[in-house]
Amino acid sequence: MPGLIPAFASVATEPMGLQLLPTDLLFLGALALAAVYGHSAAREPLARARWSRVLHSPGGGIACLVLSVYLAVAVLDSVRVERAEQAPLTVLDLVLTPLRTGMETTYSAPFATHAHARENLEHAPGLWVRDYPRLKFGGRHLALPEETARDLVRRIALGTALGFGVFVVLTLVINQLRGRSLRGAITQWWEPAWRWHWSALGVLCLGITIVGCLADGWHVLGTDKVGQDVLYLSLKSVRTGLVLAVLASLITLPIALVLGVLAGYRGGWVDDVIQYLYTTLSSIPGVLLIAAAALSLDLFLSREAGALHSLALRADLRLLALCAVLGLTGWTSLCRLLRAETMKLSTIEFVASARALGSPSAALLRRHLLPNLMPLVIITTVLDFSSLVLAEAVLTYIDIGVDPSTESWGNLINGARLELAREPVIWWSLASALGGMFGLVLAANVFADTVRDAFDPRLGPDAKGVQGRA
Amino acid sequence: MTAWFVRRLGYFLPILLGVNLLTFALFFVVNSPDDMARRHLGERHVSPAAVSDWKRAHGYDRPAFLNPAQNGLAMVTDTLFFAGSSRLFSFNFGRSDGGRHIGWDIRQRIWPSLAIALPVLILELLIAVPLGLAVALLRGSAFDRGLTLLCVAAMAISSLFFIIAGQFLFARMLRLMPISGFAEGWDALRFLLLPVVVQVLAGLGARVRWNRTVFLEETSREYVRTARAKGLSEARVLFRHVLPNAALPLITTIVVTLPGLFLGSLITESFFAIPGLGSYTIDAIQNQDFAIVRTMVFLGSLLYILGLLLTDLAYAWADPRIRLGGN
Amino acid sequence: MLEISNLVLVAQTQGASTRVVDDLSLSLKRGQTTVLVGESGSGKSLTALAVVRLLPPAIRVATGSVRLEGRDLLHLSEREMNSVRGARIGFVFQEPQAALNPVMRIGHQIGEALTRHRGLRGRLLRERVLELLAAVGIPEPQRRFKDYPHQFSGGMKQRVMIAIALAAEPDFLIADEPTTALDVSTQAQILDLLQATQRARGMGMLFITHDLAVAHRMADSLVVMKEGSVVEHGSRDALFSAPVHAYTRHLFAVSPRLTPSALLTPSPVTGEPLLAVRDLNVHFPQRGARWWSRTRSFAAVTDANLEVHAGETVAVVGESGSGKTTLGRTLLRLQPAQSGRVAFLGRDLFALPPESLRRARRELQVVFQDPFASMNPRMTVQQIVEEGLVAQGLLREPGARAAHVGNLLEKVGLDPAWSSRFPHEFSGGQRQRISIARALAVAPRLIVCDEPTSALDVSVQAQILTLLKALQQEQGLAYLFITHNLGVVAQLAHRVLVMHQGRIVESGAAREVLFAPQQDYTRMLLAAVPSLP
Repeated sequence: MPGLIPAFASVATEPMGLQLLPTDLLFLGALALAAVYGHSAAREPLARARWSRVLHSPGGGIACLVLSVYLAVAVLDSVRVERAEQAPLTVLDLVLTPLRTGMETTYSAPFATHAHARENLEHAPGLWVRDYPRLKFGGRHLALPEETARDLVRRIALGTALGFGVFVVLTLVINQLRGRSLRGAITQWWEPAWRWHWSALGVLCLGITIVGCLADGWHVLGTDKVGQDVLYLSLKSVRTGLVLAVLASLITLPIALVLGVLAGYRGGWVDDVIQYLYTTLSSIPGVLLIAAAALSLDLFLSREAGALHSLALRADLRLLALCAVLGLTGWTSLCRLLRAETMKLSTIEFVASARALGSPSAALLRRHLLPNLMPLVIITTVLDFSSLVLAEAVLTYIDIGVDPSTESWGNLINGARLELAREPVIWWSLASALGGMFGLVLAANVFADTVRDAFDPRLGPDAKGVQGRA
Repeated sequence: MTAWFVRRLGYFLPILLGVNLLTFALFFVVNSPDDMARRHLGERHVSPAAVSDWKRAHGYDRPAFLNPAQNGLAMVTDTLFFAGSSRLFSFNFGRSDGGRHIGWDIRQRIWPSLAIALPVLILELLIAVPLGLAVALLRGSAFDRGLTLLCVAAMAISSLFFIIAGQFLFARMLRLMPISGFAEGWDALRFLLLPVVVQVLAGLGARVRWNRTVFLEETSREYVRTARAKGLSEARVLFRHVLPNAALPLITTIVVTLPGLFLGSLITESFFAIPGLGSYTIDAIQNQDFAIVRTMVFLGSLLYILGLLLTDLAYAWADPRIRLGGN
Repeated sequence: MLEISNLVLVAQTQGASTRVVDDLSLSLKRGQTTVLVGESGSGKSLTALAVVRLLPPAIRVATGSVRLEGRDLLHLSEREMNSVRGARIGFVFQEPQAALNPVMRIGHQIGEALTRHRGLRGRLLRERVLELLAAVGIPEPQRRFKDYPHQFSGGMKQRVMIAIALAAEPDFLIADEPTTALDVSTQAQILDLLQATQRARGMGMLFITHDLAVAHRMADSLVVMKEGSVVEHGSRDALFSAPVHAYTRHLFAVSPRLTPSALLTPSPVTGEPLLAVRDLNVHFPQRGARWWSRTRSFAAVTDANLEVHAGETVAVVGESGSGKTTLGRTLLRLQPAQSGRVAFLGRDLFALPPESLRRARRELQVVFQDPFASMNPRMTVQQIVEEGLVAQGLLREPGARAAHVGNLLEKVGLDPAWSSRFPHEFSGGQRQRISIARALAVAPRLIVCDEPTSALDVSVQAQILTLLKALQQEQGLAYLFITHNLGVVAQLAHRVLVMHQGRIVESGAAREVLFAPQQDYTRMLLAAVPSLP
């Protein structure tokens, strides 16, 4: 990938400085919070046993791998580097410089050498012909378009070799981290319990390097109406989807946790008021509530828009507003569950004996209630995650989603939907958006399933106790 | 029973009032009627007189919640909130900000919405319940594993895909039916078929999987073991014992879809250009027509509450342990 | 003749497989009752389920045979097996509450078996079901025919369950702990019913229980199981008069008996009582599922009066729903009371401001029933035991706390080195010891013990009771011991209160209440307790 080196060189030579947008900060902050939780969970045997069950199961392990690839893309796309007298770019933008700058004039199919539409071309001085022009980026290194197949095979072979190299290095590093000698790493890595995981890692390595080698000279997923590379747009969409899902969950959690625990623990009129609140809120059909809230916020933003200098900041605030709307309207079901669970926990005997020992309410909440509510919180959050990703596309379609200038799956689908009527069909933007979403949502769903299996007290590692009672 | 009903209805009023309060707050605290007027009249060249004319014409010329110009009760009643809410509670929806008669629109558009939503609900039940039962009967088999896998994959597909793929495949490639649109009378069938099929397919994965979970959970209960110990066949155990017990959670999911039944599916209707309530709402959202959105929110929560009521009634009917109003 | 030979059952858990029943053989003759007795985990229930091939999915038969009149049931097709279940072998399960279909009328639940195996329908079916209902002692069968299970009490539900098992007139009946979920008084009636029916119909019965006294009451012959294997079998009289195996003898020794010899002499009652309860009334508000549901109330404890003096054990005895647990929780102020006074060490507990109450809790502690729910699964033993110290601000120095916890663990018979372990690494009995250590940590004067041994096997129960008695003698502790088990009461109570429907109906010295009861209810209760020879 020769394009990479100048890209990194340009970063290294320019004065470095980070310029983070609000959602960047919040997203990275949320990940930091998750890391803190991970650290504390690793020290506690029960949580550790549950998470290791998730990672050990083939489904959970592979889903984790896929999710971490998505997450890595989103993180790279959330670290924004300042540039002299230019709009800031993310690290991902810099990595993908060839794709970002390799613009065409309009649509072109995947691996095409020529554009999708005819233009007036000057064949010889004065001789104008209406024909498909050669692309400026896709396959421009080839003298003749006929060499396409050979070039692709060459690149795939190169990518495969590279992928194997990366895979071998990764295998050695991981085995090293697990405290194995080089000899042990070579002889023992293909153990039955981890075969699925290794295979998935191998496929991922190969996929990434092959696509990387191809994308260096081709539009792997074609280009869109204004000639932007669809692979680039799809990769940029990952961040929007993940930021939306993560931040909406981040806003939902504290509200649901505070109100749910308060209602369940205090009871009485506090419980009545909180129940009234969520019954009222959940009585409004979801999309309508989101629409009404988004509409108001949109009006508000457009009125205040004068104060906002950059378009990027405005689009970012709209994304943040959407997260806020989804978060503020989505806490009711988790709150209801937490309330019931808190009530159940407060009558359980270890809470009663803590009270009999004279533990103050704060200690009761911190040591007994909150830790034991965590499984429910984790299961519900993970289960809701994928529906938030899917919601982005739908909301963007009805104009209450992200800003049209934000790269997102919803915007990709929206832009491509009307072009389906053209002949020949322009299918690639649609397919890549739907495919990108499918991968993320499938991984998230499988992950959620294994998390539920591991954390459900009836199935988890502490199930022995429950069965032993019978 | 009657007392229970009256008491239950009495509790719904505060919820509806809360819903109204919320929508008002959303629209008026964040944006003043002046903003709305300017928006509707076009941002440029708006004279203060034109703004106040628009406000008077659309009934936005009063204070939102409290009128300091009035005395006594009128301080509360002569406000936007009171006037708007009391109209809604008497089902007088008034005119939209665009000048259309909302009540008339709703009466026109409810039928296409129902014509899609009802068949979808019935078809989903007819397909998903037997599939769920079949999976529960053959649990652990290749059929079970395959179908479960298929469901998980189907759940990961965006509903937009089903719509776009359906339109592309059936309408454009095979030319079996029109891509979108609507017609009166029996002609409508041609236009309804595709949206119904697409919506059923889009929801099937999640529903079959959920039914499977419900049925499997129910088959692990002890009364099922008793039934087997009687020597009953597996089919009879499933149909006579498991199904009636699983009906309770199934009822809940059906009733929850009730508001959607009347309000129509926003996305499907808009994609297929069906003149139902769903596309009506989307248009209102896109035109930022507050009066229509508020009316739809009100109707939506009213239907939700009726759904809760129906759930309780259905539970009392299906579960002999539950009696309304009694112990 | 039903013959189980060399049965081996294997449990599959995450790759590993363990033998849960190992090489079990027994035979069941018509007209006889064989009792399978053993503690939890002995494999007795699994054996019963294996006979009718209704084992849970994780457990399978490895080898062995189950022959019914010579035909091996384990080799029948599922279809053939269905004409054995119910028709030739009836089954009565432990929990009648869970074993009956909640949304099906009981008449239909019984009739189903008759239709399946006898082809009865319509009027004939109905008449036969009514006969069955009458035969198992359900009053007014005509009226109850169309009722649902929730309209019956626990004992009546178990009668319905028995009617289902008997419907197709099987030759063999398997009863898996049929009275464990029931109160003593109901237990006696169900045992009578089962025995009378077995004799009248000449059935062979396989009766499974953990209770030796019940086994003695029912058995013609006995099979004693331990950890999946048969340790001893023989006729009832031979086995009870001269048990051979050490485990059987141990079981006999630790089973609680209602005999005056075990009684403690009441300590002389002097001075101010530690705890004095006057005219206590507790009502439960009952709320529906939604926030608009009406609130009703239910009287759990009515006009309770009692006293506990330093160093004595007062037992509160009652059947389920008698209000004994609510009484205990109210004294601990875990449950609000409607009226009354609870004086502890002269202070009115209900009148104390929150901070003083928190301090006062130090001297009034509790040990709960459920060894699995009574400890936070996320805390180490150290954290669990020192919780009271931390809450009361005692021994602020961590090293001193650790030493104290070590001492306490030793005192309750656990290894102090286990303090960094988590609750799920311990057995039920060990967990109850940890619970006791947690209560002892703050040096209380009175411990409310809410059925502390009900979830434990008899041998473990005996150890815990011995521990409690030793601690009382050593530290002069007082116990308020809440239990439904009269045999346990006889072993450690100085005084006894009998509760019935929220009221204390009789109270006095243990000797008087248990062996010269004044009230009809107490007499009925005592008469219902099955006894060992």
